[in-house]
Amino acid sequence: MAVRTTPPRTLLSSGELLRNLVAKELKVRYKGSALGFLWSLVTPLLLTGVFTVVFATFLRIPLGEGNFATFFLSGYLVWQFFSNSVNSAVGAIVGNGALIKKVWFPREVLPLSLVLSQGVHFGLALLATSPLFIWQRGVHLEAIPAILLGFLLLTAFTAGVAMVFAGLNVGFRDLQELTQVIFLAWFYLTPVIYPLYTVRESGAQWAVPFVLANPVTWFVELFHAALYGTPVAVGPNPPPHWPDATTWLVCSAWAVAALAVGTVLFRRWARTFAKEV
Amino acid sequence: MAGEADPRWAVQVDGLWERFRIAGDRPPTLKERLFTFRRAEYRQFEALKGVSLRIRHGESVALIGHNGSGKSTLLKCIAGILPADEGSVRVDGRLATLLELGAGFHPDLTGRENVYLNGAILGLTRREVDGSFAAIVDFAGVGEFIDTPVRNYSSGMYVRLGFAIAVHVDPDVLLVDEVLSVGDAAFQERSLARMRGFVERGKTVVLVSHDLGAVRALCRRTVVLDHGRLVFDGPTDDAIEAYEELVAGGAPPPEPEPDPVGPARTGDGGARIVDARLLPAVDGARPSGTTAQLVVSFTAEEAVREAGSLSLGIAVRRPDMALYVYETRTAWRGIYLAPPRPGATAAVTFTLDLAVLTGEYLVDLLLVNASTGVIHDRWQEALGFTVTSPEHDFGVAALDARIGVANPDGFWPAELHAPPPERGGPREHPLREDRPSPGHEPDVPRVDPALAR
Repeated sequence: MAVRTTPPRTLLSSGELLRNLVAKELKVRYKGSALGFLWSLVTPLLLTGVFTVVFATFLRIPLGEGNFATFFLSGYLVWQFFSNSVNSAVGAIVGNGALIKKVWFPREVLPLSLVLSQGVHFGLALLATSPLFIWQRGVHLEAIPAILLGFLLLTAFTAGVAMVFAGLNVGFRDLQELTQVIFLAWFYLTPVIYPLYTVRESGAQWAVPFVLANPVTWFVELFHAALYGTPVAVGPNPPPHWPDATTWLVCSAWAVAALAVGTVLFRRWARTFAKEV
Repeated sequence: MAGEADPRWAVQVDGLWERFRIAGDRPPTLKERLFTFRRAEYRQFEALKGVSLRIRHGESVALIGHNGSGKSTLLKCIAGILPADEGSVRVDGRLATLLELGAGFHPDLTGRENVYLNGAILGLTRREVDGSFAAIVDFAGVGEFIDTPVRNYSSGMYVRLGFAIAVHVDPDVLLVDEVLSVGDAAFQERSLARMRGFVERGKTVVLVSHDLGAVRALCRRTVVLDHGRLVFDGPTDDAIEAYEELVAGGAPPPEPEPDPVGPARTGDGGARIVDARLLPAVDGARPSGTTAQLVVSFTAEEAVREAGSLSLGIAVRRPDMALYVYETRTAWRGIYLAPPRPGATAAVTFTLDLAVLTGEYLVDLLLVNASTGVIHDRWQEALGFTVTSPEHDFGVAALDARIGVANPDGFWPAELHAPPPERGGPREHPLREDRPSPGHEPDVPRVDPALAR
């Protein structure tokens, strides 16, 4: 069943549907689970533990008098939001074929609801781990607006990428499997385990443009600045602060570009989804 | 769908072509796209070949035609689900389409949560759902189950709730595809009444149906489609005549519709029921109290084999009484079925005691994933059977009363057993004329010597 007004409902007027779908995602995910939301903290905390042992103790990633656990966590939460969103959104259209063939509604809501529900997890995870950040990195109220604004930009960027992946997957179904592989490699191209400066100061100068061309690098750097501070090799690491202008500029550009391109492409493809799913 | 709509028309379809590319069983993979020069081969299928149709505000129009005639495709084009390949479709006013009941229902959410979710998918605001919530629950007749996850609903409750939400959307233009045939007879009656209400309130209704009775009851104008072309447009009685001539006139064999799964058959198709029969096969009615075996066979696709166990459900209902007589699923009995490998067919036998009384019974089948609740195949009215029982009892369950009497006065004479006509007895009572007026002792022995011991 579908309800369509003339002109067709736009995304803006589908806020109600989006809200309902996000609520559904959250409810369904934790229905009947004793730990509920805490489950979404298990992966980052476990990885933080393991990677702290491996990279801070065995491999000795140089962080001076800094703290690897909070450094890793501040980048990993960003990565997890992005990666989980896109990996779940890639199957959003194909997986809802029955609905798409029988009901008219703006197709964007399917990938977007997944991104937004991951956004809720991201926000809750930040809140839940905030005592750790405060304990290790101190209280820095001036960083809070940066976190909120960064979250907005990250969500816009993720939404754009998620729409492209969800739409492309209708044409080639292999993308769903491929995405997991792409994201595994992408993770190591993003300065989550290692600080960005280690790439700049390594012998492999050729790698620097690749890491900087990776948009997620910039979002991770934004949250590194706002949650952790500046990672340096020797001495105390400067505390959380307002990210620099370049980071803001690059993140904003990627956010706007991804959202615009994602929306345009997705809308074009969406016309024929009902025939192809 | 853009462009100026002519306000005289609620629905305006001009020169509409709709084409489907029918590929092989699977879409091309990335490997094929990368390493072969041509893309996958497609067979072009023209579902609609230049259809034009105008419907006035407040008009109710039926679309009829054999399977593959394009009537459902036309409805989906009007609904905006399918884009026009050529030509245009314009709709003036708020549109609702009833193609699928309970679209987007999630099995883990309660009825209440699903009402809001489904309502939002249909374009209702929270406030609109709040406003008709009580009416929806009442119409669906799910009562206190509204706060139970819908995975526990019987198939009847599920579609009734879906239908109830759909008909509480208050559209200007309502598109309906076959869904009037869901539920039992009483529910169909209410659904039809609700549809009539829409028509009477001056809403525009476009109905796709095989049920010519519903078409006659709801629509004065009917359009006949044949192989993607509009072949008749006029008064319903004439249209039905034209349609029957078309069918009788040896119309070419119907091409399969791209989506052969009608509303009576829903599910993602990952596993499918391929056959269902009741053994022993009999002509006519089965005697009450006998045993019958319901044998259901099904197949599964490779993808489903990874997704966990299957559960096969049967529901027996009595349509004339709007009653679910019996429902069970293998999983409820602790039997979890491994999905059969592709190409193989699994069969489940339900041995049933037909401890029911005279009546016609329908069987719905349901094949679900036992852990996720995903519905692979829901087949309403897959088969039916008739039962006869000795005439003296009425109802559904063969409780088979044995009667004992302790009464010092014994029994009333056999000839006077029948109650008087005003209490439902036969009009031509043999002893009617001889019966005394009330208050007098009957002039016959109180105790039948043959029965009193």
